[in-house]
This record gives sequence, C-alpha cells and structure tokens, in this order.
Amino acid sequence: MKFVMDYIRKEEWSPYVAGILLGIVGVLAVLLSNSLLGASGAFENIAGLIGKALAPAAFNNMYFNFIMPPGITWGVILLVGVFFGGMLGAFSSGTFKWRLVSDDQWKKVFGPQVWKRWVLAFLGAIVLEYGAGIAGGCTSGLAISGGMLLAPAAYLFIAGMFASGIVTALIVYRKGY
Amino acid sequence: MTNYVIAGVLGVFFGFSLNKAGLTKYNKIVGVFRFTDLAVLKFMLTALVVSMIGLYGLRGLGLIVFPAVPATYIVGNIIGGLIFGIGMALTGY
Repeated sequence: MKFVMDYIRKEEWSPYVAGILLGIVGVLAVLLSNSLLGASGAFENIAGLIGKALAPAAFNNMYFNFIMPPGITWGVILLVGVFFGGMLGAFSSGTFKWRLVSDDQWKKVFGPQVWKRWVLAFLGAIVLEYGAGIAGGCTSGLAISGGMLLAPAAYLFIAGMFASGIVTALIVYRKGY
Repeated sequence: MTNYVIAGVLGVFFGFSLNKAGLTKYNKIVGVFRFTDLAVLKFMLTALVVSMIGLYGLRGLGLIVFPAVPATYIVGNIIGGLIFGIGMALTGY
C-alpha cells in the first residue's frame, strides 16, 4: 500500500503506467455512458454557445447547427474534469505553481519574453483547433478514441500530425534539432 | 445527470494521467517531434492497446455496443492532422 501511495505522489510516472490508466478511462467512458473521450470538440461546443448568443446569423451554418451543436455537452464536463484532474496531479506531487512561461527549454529556443509565449500559445492553439476541426478530432478525440475503435481516420490523423510536427520542430530548432 | 457526473469523474482521471505522464509540459510534447523523448508515443499507444483490448473484449461478451466511430474522409483527416501538428509543435500542448 505504501508503495502505491508513494508512486501516486511521484512527479512523473512511467508513460506506460499513465497510458494504462488512460486506457481504462477510455473503456469506462464507452461502458458507462457510451461516449468517447475528447477535448477539442468541447471548445467548439462552447464557441458555438457564445457565438449563437453574440452573432446568431454568423453561427447559423451547417457546422454549428448539425456537426458541432452548441451546448454544455458530455465533453464540456469532461474537459472541466481534465482541468481539475491535471491540477490534482500537480498537487499530489507537490509541484503545483503559477507560472507565466511554461518551460526553461522554451526560453532557450524563443527567448525569455513572456508575451511571446502567450502570443505563440494563442496563435498555435488557433492553428491546432482549426486542424482538429477539419480532421474531426484531436489527439484524444480522434487519435486515441478513434484508434481504439480501429477507425482509419485516427491513423491518417496520427500520420499527418507527426509528419508536420517533426517538420515544424526541425524549423523551430534548426541546428539545435 | 448521472452521465455528467461520470464525465466529470472520468475527466479528473484523464487529466491526472496526462499530468503524471508529463504531457502537460512543453518539453515532453516537443521531445517526441525531436526524437529526444518518446513519452507521448509510449503513453498514447499504451492507452490505445489497453482500451482496444478492453473494448473489443467487452463487445465480444455482448456488454457494449460501440458508439459512432469517427468518420473517415481521407483528405480531410490528413490535412487536419498536418495543420494540427504545426500547432502542437509550436505550442507544446
């Protein structure tokens, strides 16, 4: 028992152990509520909700009416849980802290300016969410949830994601790659 | 209502596992694209294998019916993935 508690408090688990936990969560999601895990869809649900309230005409299209209907969906609640779960993970290992720049490595590559990190995170997230919207899901919603049902879409998405991710990292890191 | 409670609880475990695998850190996400740290791949594929075994096992026993499988439209999936990868490597999320 002590071993288990000590392991839970560790800052970083073996990715295999954490992966097994996520795998079980994925099975339970289907078993208990016949839903798939996902993150990017929830943002679109919320965006649709805000958009319909502010500019109903602009949001009255196929995408927001039928493909991603706005609302507080299962995925939105899941996402709230993810936020607190991540926080809990940081608290359990005592590594929780407020930070403006996420990582030392980021500073080495892009410079120490805090605003740069925030602007790039914002723009990058737009790109990321746009890509997820086209593909029909993100790493969790399509790659993992689709992959576990053996959907070809998931594996096409993973291939695309790694191909462009590697090229982007090559460009960003240049000689330091 | 029960469904929402389940979503919240599963979300907590989801976030917890992401945090413990270190996927909330920039260097982990970029590491997989630089081939310096393959934690993302190990985590993702372990989760895939475990849930595949669980889901296909449960379906074999007749306990579950699969939910709607994400649609495959080859060009869209690949292009979406390509755009997604750029954002992922830039932000590290």
